[in-house]
Amino acid sequence: MKCLIFSDAVDTANQLVSFFSGIMEVDCIVPEAVAKAVSAHCSGNIFAMKESVFPDSITAVIAKTYRNSKYDYVFLGSTAIGRDVAGMLSVDLGLNVAAEITSFKLDGSSCVTKRYFYGGKTVIEESSNARILTVMPGIAEPKSAPAAGKISEVSQEASQVTMVSRESKAAGSVDLEKASIIVSVGRGIGNKENIEKIKPLADAVHGEIAGSRPVCLDYHWLSEDRQVGLSGKKVKPKMYIALGISGQIQHIAGIRGSKIVVAVNKDKSAPIFEEADYGLVGDLFQIVPKLVAAIKG
Amino acid sequence: MALNIIVLIKQIVDIDLLKVNPSTGSPEVQNLPLRLENLSKNAVEEAVRIKEKNGGKIYAICFGTEKSSSAMKEAFAMGVDEGFVITGYQGNDPARTSMVLAEKIRAIPHDIVLLGNQSAESYTGLLPGKISRILGERLLSNAIKIEIVNGRARATMAMESETVTAETQLPAVISVTQEINEPRLPPVMQILQAGRKPMNVSATGIKEVTPNKIISNIAPKSERRKIVFEDIEKGIPEVAKAIREASR
Ligand SMILES: Cc1cc2nc3c(=O)[nH]c(=O)nc-3n(C[C@H](O)[C@H](O)[C@H](O)COP(=O)(O)OP(=O)(O)OC[C@H]3O[C@@H](n4cnc5c(N)ncnc54)[C@H](O)[C@@H]3O)c2cc1C
Ligand SMILES: Nc1ncnc2c1ncn2[C@@H]1O[C@H](COP(=O)(O)O)[C@@H](O)[C@H]1O
Repeated sequence: MKCLIFSDAVDTANQLVSFFSGIMEVDCIVPEAVAKAVSAHCSGNIFAMKESVFPDSITAVIAKTYRNSKYDYVFLGSTAIGRDVAGMLSVDLGLNVAAEITSFKLDGSSCVTKRYFYGGKTVIEESSNARILTVMPGIAEPKSAPAAGKISEVSQEASQVTMVSRESKAAGSVDLEKASIIVSVGRGIGNKENIEKIKPLADAVHGEIAGSRPVCLDYHWLSEDRQVGLSGKKVKPKMYIALGISGQIQHIAGIRGSKIVVAVNKDKSAPIFEEADYGLVGDLFQIVPKLVAAIKG
Repeated sequence: MALNIIVLIKQIVDIDLLKVNPSTGSPEVQNLPLRLENLSKNAVEEAVRIKEKNGGKIYAICFGTEKSSSAMKEAFAMGVDEGFVITGYQGNDPARTSMVLAEKIRAIPHDIVLLGNQSAESYTGLLPGKISRILGERLLSNAIKIEIVNGRARATMAMESETVTAETQLPAVISVTQEINEPRLPPVMQILQAGRKPMNVSATGIKEVTPNKIISNIAPKSERRKIVFEDIEKGIPEVAKAIREASR
């Protein structure tokens, strides 16, 4: 068995390569910027793409590589581009897709996979003949490979869409997946300045600060790499402290691995209390300073 | 330049109200209210904004069931002009859904096809790529901003490590993110008029495509203790103790 892996996100690429190397032979096809990092985890061929932003041109080069070398599977990291490529590739190659998987097992000529459904409320386990799979980040810890992979360049056709401008996002420095305590804020924090008010709590517990999707993505009160949830980071700290987060299913999907969940919310019927070990009903701005005092006690 | 815009809208069960059976973990989807899917709303909102700027007409297509006229009416109230409900939807099957939708899209002269980048309940995220490829139209994806400039579509797209602005000729398929806009609450007048807009209902002849076999679909067990304090003076010492233990 042999597979081809694509991801435009370094972390996800490393995770996928490490996970699937335990099951089959792995080659990668990744943007040039990812190739170097992934070579420490993949002893197979690493095809580096130079001109790699748009899904149509990425799809074309993956399809060509797939046809040339008879791969059994194509695994794509579930990123914005990865999902677009999966859709395009499935039409071009006429192959079935399993989307957003969180686990993978071979079962003869089929595979058994798991994914969240209903926005994260349930988990579907299914058996399919899928050959293209989008894989959620967090499937495995990156492991180093016995030998570094061979990097070679692949040429890509130009995209049919025209680039006007591009801007890199500020590179994040947090590693939420490894944090042992996380203090996470939701829309209940009210504004960006208020984040200062919960920092004493994060400091007191030596925790990382994270947030819900609106806080990170819509309002940019925190950087995007601090988003927890279905479309953000799946975290597994010893303790997850949720402040002013309602607990929508898409957020809960990211915190299920937490050992203990503490929730502070002024609405006693907020769904977060159904998913918490300890809950405090009240105004977070009153509760947080008291909590800090009690912790330092 | 007046534009013909097609929006793809999905109807879903209200996942926020979804409960699971406490003993089996199975989702209890029967009798749940149905509503317009979140990202479909963002797509409708964006269509309405593009029309407000450029003029034109908005069509919506929903591959759903006999019950999907209510989702269409929600879209009408937001500003969609004409609707197509295709019945025969039997559940998550992106290969089939994309074929059914593409067949209808081809029958309507259009400049732009708008859809969500990932739907809120199944979030496969496969439809934008599939629809673009089946139609042979260019894709601008994960848009956080859309403009029409000199008869071309220009979108700012949110990618993993960068934000890219790109442009393409029309017709084009454009997928939108949740961040692109805040869907409007329809004004009462438009809600009242929604029933009078043309709605075309037809059944699809396209059969199931994806042979994925569902082994189980259950909620992961929550073993949380759910010790909730309404009296915070009592709660804070307890919670502080738990936090101290965890941070040791
Ligand atoms: C496809 C898809 C993927 C998604 N992925 C994610 C994801 O990865 N992560 C994510 O978080 N969301 C995700 N979402 C969004 C999710 O559905 C919710 O919209 C989001 O989680 C809500 O964020 P919130 O809890 O911060 O805000 P709200 O739901 O607005 O909750 C704010 C809470 O703060 C409380 N509050 C207000 N003021 C105070 C105060 N002073 N003191 C105490 N409490 C207060 C309120 O009672 C309320 O419960 C996704 C949605 C979709 C459709
Ligand atoms: N059955 C459907 N009918 C119409 N549009 C749909 C349907 N399913 C998905 N879509 C559209 O495709 C987007 C992405 O869905 P998905 O690819 O399933 O995650 C949604 O936000 C809708 O805009």
